[in-house]
Parts: sequence; structure tokens; C-alpha cells
Amino acid sequence: MSFPAVELRQVTRFYGARNTGVAALDGVSLACPAGTWTAVMGPSGSGKSTLLHCAAGLEQVTTGRVVLAGRDITAAPDGVLTEMRRRTIGFVFQNFNLIGSLTAEQNVAFPLKLAGIRASRKDVRGVLGSVGLADRATHRPRELSGGQQQRVAIARAMISRPAVLFADEPTGALDSHSAKVVLELLRDMVRGAGQSIVMVTHDPAVAAGADAVVFLADGRIADRLDAPTTHQVADRLARLES
Amino acid sequence: MLRMSFRTFLERWQLFAGAVLSVAAGVALVQASFMVLVATGEPRIPEGLSRQEDDRIREGFVGAATVMGMTAFLAMFLAVFIVSSTFAFTVDQRRRDLALLRLTGGSRGQVRVLLLSESVLLGLVGSALGVPIGLGAKHAQTWLLVEIGLLPDWFAAPWRWQAVAVAGVIGVGVALTGVFAASLRAARIRPLEALRETGRAGRVMTTSRWLLGLSSAACTVAMVVWAHGANLIGAMLAALGISMVGAVAMSTLSPLVVPFTAWLLGLLLPGSLVVASLRDGVRRSAATASPLIVLVSLLLGLAGTFGSLAAAGGEEAKRSVNAQLVVTSTGARAERLPGIEGVAVASRQNAVDITITAGERRSVYSGIIAVDAADYARTHALVPTHGDLNALTGDTVFVGPAQHSEWIRAGEVLTAEAEGIPLSLTVVGGLPETLEPGENFVVPRRILPPPVWENAPTESVVQVETEQNPDVVAERIERAGIGEVSTVADWAEARAGRNQAGNMKILTVLMGLAGLYALMAVVNSVVIAGTERRREFAVFRVSGLSRPQVVRTAVAEATSVAVIGLVLGCAVAGAGLAGIGGSVRAAIGVTVVHVPWTLLAVVATGSLAVVAVTSGITALSATRQRPVSLIATKE
Ligand SMILES: Nc1ncnc2c1ncn2[C@@H]1O[C@H](COP(=O)(O)OP(=O)(O)OP(=O)(O)O)[C@@H](O)[C@H]1O
Ligand SMILES: [Mg+2]
Repeated sequence: MSFPAVELRQVTRFYGARNTGVAALDGVSLACPAGTWTAVMGPSGSGKSTLLHCAAGLEQVTTGRVVLAGRDITAAPDGVLTEMRRRTIGFVFQNFNLIGSLTAEQNVAFPLKLAGIRASRKDVRGVLGSVGLADRATHRPRELSGGQQQRVAIARAMISRPAVLFADEPTGALDSHSAKVVLELLRDMVRGAGQSIVMVTHDPAVAAGADAVVFLADGRIADRLDAPTTHQVADRLARLES
Repeated sequence: MLRMSFRTFLERWQLFAGAVLSVAAGVALVQASFMVLVATGEPRIPEGLSRQEDDRIREGFVGAATVMGMTAFLAMFLAVFIVSSTFAFTVDQRRRDLALLRLTGGSRGQVRVLLLSESVLLGLVGSALGVPIGLGAKHAQTWLLVEIGLLPDWFAAPWRWQAVAVAGVIGVGVALTGVFAASLRAARIRPLEALRETGRAGRVMTTSRWLLGLSSAACTVAMVVWAHGANLIGAMLAALGISMVGAVAMSTLSPLVVPFTAWLLGLLLPGSLVVASLRDGVRRSAATASPLIVLVSLLLGLAGTFGSLAAAGGEEAKRSVNAQLVVTSTGARAERLPGIEGVAVASRQNAVDITITAGERRSVYSGIIAVDAADYARTHALVPTHGDLNALTGDTVFVGPAQHSEWIRAGEVLTAEAEGIPLSLTVVGGLPETLEPGENFVVPRRILPPPVWENAPTESVVQVETEQNPDVVAERIERAGIGEVSTVADWAEARAGRNQAGNMKILTVLMGLAGLYALMAVVNSVVIAGTERRREFAVFRVSGLSRPQVVRTAVAEATSVAVIGLVLGCAVAGAGLAGIGGSVRAAIGVTVVHVPWTLLAVVATGSLAVVAVTSGITALSATRQRPVSLIATKE
């Protein structure tokens, strides 16, 4: 693929009035090539979530342009964005809950159903199996633990094979073993299926698994590391936060 | 999508219970009204009744049909209102769920379809419940209409299978109409809201709410202005319209008033939890206040309108005669009145039993009076619209106020029949329309054979000589054994009361219905609001409030909201009365307005009590569980 999976060009995002408000993002330019994993790090309030939301078309940028899977979505109408959410992009968020009234497998099949595609039971069970929840397919979210719910959410993001997966602290609430399982799943998506991931994380060890790490501070890109090690990441982060 | 609607419906049935019940009640009433309406449309009147009796029954049927039409209309309006406020409320409470749907790739259209299919489900369940309830309602309605004398006791409205179709269409239609606005609102929820823990606040006064509120308010004002120039039928319709549209305006704009009230209350109880809750729960408050606004504006608006019309009718009757006393007697006895000392003029008006037929129109048997034109002219202030009362001699006739709208021209010859004697009467003039129906025709007494008028019930309008005391003259008349004497003021009042009695009965039925309905809505919204606050109550308790304190806070909050609703409802009713007042002024030259104070007091205390008790019970049951068990579970 010739075009980057996600590209931000001079993106600015203001909250509140133009001259008095906060600039959550301030002139951010970033390109994530297809089939790569990009980690976004930075202190709390530095604009990580905002960057993800803008890149995914969930939030309008104030100035600048956003290109997603080769398509300029800066001023795209709702219909186009909906279509992209169905086929091109996926989300895994820390508090991106499941739909309470649907079972795990119904939750997984739901995006396809909205898109008018009939997901076969075998496919759904297969995806649930790959996140280790084959025996929990008919459970409601409230009957699952936090980590299990998060894995269902990942299965939901996996089934439509999105070109880009956006993840905001997906392992934030998980114990280290569950976190490892989740990260392995994500890594497989990039390595195996050529999908791209943009992920916000606070954990240097997690970020070290990515192809590139971008550091944000006060809404600007402060630094960037390619093929980093845990040590390097922790070092840069400490410098940023000091 | 349908399956999801179904599941939401099952899981949140408490939230929908009120809406289902109101749809069911609406369907039941519309269906029952439909059956009665159809039955009155093809009356099977037994043979062999006198023509007056036949006339009375037919009139009653028309009256019953009007009541049924208004009932059906009101029931539909209220059902739509309740469904729409319930759904507006549930959409707000399901913001996160709906945003999640959008985030996983649901389009705006799909969100709308989800809500609309929920409403279809609601409509179907409501209709299914409504059909059997409707059968009961039909009996109740028939009984009521017989009881108030509009229908004869042999009346029966047979069951019709079409009623089921009507019920289904009405139920689903009402539910869809009620949900429409909420579905648009829901479709506007942004997917990002699913990711924000605190993102559910959302603006209460949305653009569409502003638009609806301001346009209904403008519409209400326009109707008030229009009513000032309208005739009385127009003003009555306007009053009904003002009550309904004004109620919509006030309920959509009520979120603006809630913070103000919270501020006022804050001056009295600084730092109290009630004030903070009021300010925070603007939408909840608006949902509780709206049905109360409708209740008060409909009840007071209708009662005020009819009361004002009755009062105005009395006032007009009083002004239309230029005399001091009215004597009720038979025609023969009334002839002795001119001979009584102190009587200047006595205009005897015999209500004669004759038939007058104007061309192709229906024959008229009642409301025909026989007078002596000169006496009549001297004692009555009503100026003829055309012709001259002096011309009312020989075979002539004057068109009365009740026939004013029939456009019977001067010079037209009407056929009449008195005790078997045929007559041909030439129209020589007509009287203007009055608030009260008044007479159909006025004929000269001389042309009638004495037996026709001698035994006829007679009202004589008596002018007393200037130097005489009317009371003394009245005593003389009574002593002479002529008949019953009353002052013009008393007579006018009694007459207005008699004429309005039928209207008041109809009004009572409608008001009872509207009251019951709106009360159902009030209970519904209080229960939803209380039940959905479980978690919040639990947080209160964990923060150190005792259970009675939580309940007291909830009751105090609900009661303040009820007061807001009452005040806003009174404002709407006031607008309706202003319209009627203006119209009455245009018609009779003075402003006569009747404010139903007693009803206001009853409605105010009743609804406050209902709100307080319901919110108390709901808060008690919502705090029954241990607070920790509620806080620990995450949605
Ligand atoms: N809806 C909003 N309205 C106003 N300001 C906002 C809004 N959302 C975010 N902000 C501000 O934008 C800035 C960046 O927020 P953002 O959520 O992107 O931070 P973050 O890097 O994700 O922080 P954290 O690590 O704590 O999640 C913050 O200063 C925040 O206060
Ligand atoms: Mg964040």
C-alpha cells in the first residue's frame, strides 16, 4: 500500500473560545504507515486521547487535515464516517463498554450486523476463541470480568478486519497477565493481517513493543522513537515529565 | 434491530410501563368513543315519540357525539404528550448506549429505526391492552352520557370489529408520533459520548427545543390575540387550542424556569441538597413538570372558558332587557299584569307550541314566543339586525337570535301551524345572535287562537313606573297571585345557569378524563425519575445521609417541581382566559371573566399531594437495597 494508514497534517484542536480556550492539539503532524504499530505517550492532559479521537474522525479538528486509509476525512459527512467505522476502523478503549443487553457473541457480531453482513456463528466463535473466550460466548457483559470484557471488545474490533485499530489504554485496567494476552492479540493483527494500530499507553514496556513511539507534551509532538527499547522509552518519558 | 428493541423493551419495562399504560388508555378511550360516535351517527329512535321528545333525543345525540369527538381528540393529544415526554427522558438516560451503537458503526438512520421500532412495540402492546379496556370504557362512557342526560337509557353502542383496527392504528400512530422528536434527538448523539464517563449531560435546551417552545409560545399568543376578535365559538376553540399549545410551549420552555426557581429556593435554604439536585436535574424536573402544566392548563382553561361564557351570557341577558322584574306564569294570568298598580309596561312572552317551517329547512317546534310587539320593543334593548319590531303585526314573524345563522331573509314567507290551523308568516326582520341561544322565532300574539297562548308557559318582562319601588310592585304582583316574580339580575343568572348546565356536564366529563390522564403522566414521570436515581441516592447515603433524609430530599425536590408546574399551568390558563375575556368584550361590550378558584385549589392540593406521596414511595423503594451493592456494580 502506497498511502499511510493514518496521516495528520498540521492538526490543531481547540476547546472553548478560540483565544481563551485550551489547545489540546497544537500543530501536530504525524504519519503512520500501513501495517505498523504506533504508540502514543505523554503526561496526563497532553492531548493523547484528543489525537486519537481526531485521527478516527470522532472529533472535528479546528484546523489542519486528517487522512484515514487514503481518504481525507477532515470535513467528511456523518454517513462517510459511519461507513468507515463499519469497515475501515476499529476501536478498543479502556471504558468502551459492551452493549449490556447483548451476549458476548452478539456483541462481537454486532458491527457486521449493522453493516448488513451476516457473520457466521463459526467465525464469531473463532474470533472469541482466539481471545480465549470460546466458553463464554453466551454470557452477558455483566457476567464477565473486566479483562474478559476487554477481550470481547478486541474480538469485536478484530472480526471486521479494520485497516486501522485505535486503542486508548486498552490494558489500563488489566492485570499483567491479561494485559500480555491482549497485547499479543494486537501484535498478531499487525504482523499477521497487515493492519495498523495507533495506541495510547502509559506503560513503557507496552510501548516498546511498537514500531514507533510518539511523545506528546502540551498538545505538541515533543519526540519520536523508532524501534524503541523499554529502557529508551522510560528514559524519554521521565525527561518529558520532569 | 428489532430484536434489540425487543430486548431493551423487556429489560427496561419499568421505564416504559407508564407510556404503555397511557397508550392503552388512549386506545381504549378512542375506541370506546369511536363505537359510541358511530352509534349516535345512526340513531335508532323509537316510533311514536312526540316531536319535541324526538327533537330532544336527536339534540342529545349530537351533544354526545361532540363529547365523544372531544374525548377522543383529548385522549390522543395526552397520549402523544406522555409518550413523547417518556421517550425524551429515556433517550437521555440511554445516551451512552446509543453513542456506543454509533461508535460500533450504527448510522443515524439505524438509531432512529431502533427507537421507532421500540415505539411500534410500545404501540402494539398498548393497543392489545387497550382493546379489552376499551370495552369497559365504552360501558362507562355510555353510562356517563345517559347519566348526564345526553343519551336515552335504552341507548346501546354495539361492538364493531373495525374498532380493533382503529385501536391498532391509533396505538401505533400515537406511539410513533410521540417518539418522533426523541428519535431525531437520539440520532444527533455523537459517537464520542460513549467514551466520556461524564459526557451524558448534554444540553437541555437544544435548538429544536427552543424552536418548538418559541413557536408554540408564538402560536399561543397569536391565538389569544385572534380570540379577541373572534366570535364565541371561535373563542371557545381558541381557548382549547391555547390550553394545549400553551401547555406544550410551557413544558418545552420549563427548563429555563427550573434554575430560576432553584435560585429562589436557594435564598430560603442556602446550601441545601434539594437546590443542588434541582439545578442538576433540569431535564428530570422538566419531565415531571410538563404533565402538571398540561393538567392545570386544561382543567383551569376549560373550566374558566365555560364559566366565563356562562357569566357573560347572564350579563348579556341582563343588558338586553330594559326592565326591573320578570314574572313567570301562564299566558292567561300574565294578562292581568298591566292592571297592577305601578307597572308601566309588561311584555308578555308566551312560549307557544306551534310549528314553523322555513322553506326546505327542518321544522322548528320550540323556542317560539308570542308577543305584543310594542311592549316587547319598549322592554328589550336588543337592536334588530334588520327590519323593525313595529312591523310585527298581522301574519308576520321575526327571526330570533337562535336562527340568526340560518340567513332567513326579510320578505320570505314561512309556513306555520298552530293547533291544526295553517298560517303563512312573512318575515319582517331579525334579531342579532346572542351568547345564549335565545329564541328561534317571535310572532305576534294576535294571530294565534287564544288556547294556544293562554296555557303556554310565559315570562313577562315588567318595567316599573319611575316613582315606584320595584320591590313593592313585585310584592303586589305576588299578592295578586299572578306568578313568580324575580329581579332581572336573578332571572338572567338563573337563565344563564340553565343554559350552561348541559355544557357544564360535558365539561365535567372532559375534565375528569383529562385530570385522570395527566395524573397518570405525573405519577409516571415521578416514578421514572425516582427509579433511575437509585445510584445517586446510594451515593447520597454513602456520603452520610440517612435513608429518611434521602427520602425527604427527594420529596422536597419533587414538590418544588410540582409547584413550578402548577404556576406555569396557571400562566397558560390565564392566557386562555385573556383570550375569552377579549372575545366576550367584543361581543357584549364588557369584559366578563370567571376564574375557577375552587377548582384551582382542588387541583393544586390534589396534585401536590399525589406528587409528594408518589415521590416518597418511589424514593423509599429505590433506597431499599444496601447502598454499597448499587455503587459497586458498574453499568
Ligand atoms: N471536551 C473537552 N472540553 C474541553 N477541554 C477538553 C475536552 N476534552 C479534552 N480537553 C482538554 O484537552 C486537553 C487534552 O486532553 P486529553 O484527553 O487529550 O488528554 P490525555 O493526554 O488523553 O490525558 P490522560 O492521559 O489523562 O487521558 C486537556 O487539557 C483537557 O482538559
Ligand atoms: Mg486520555
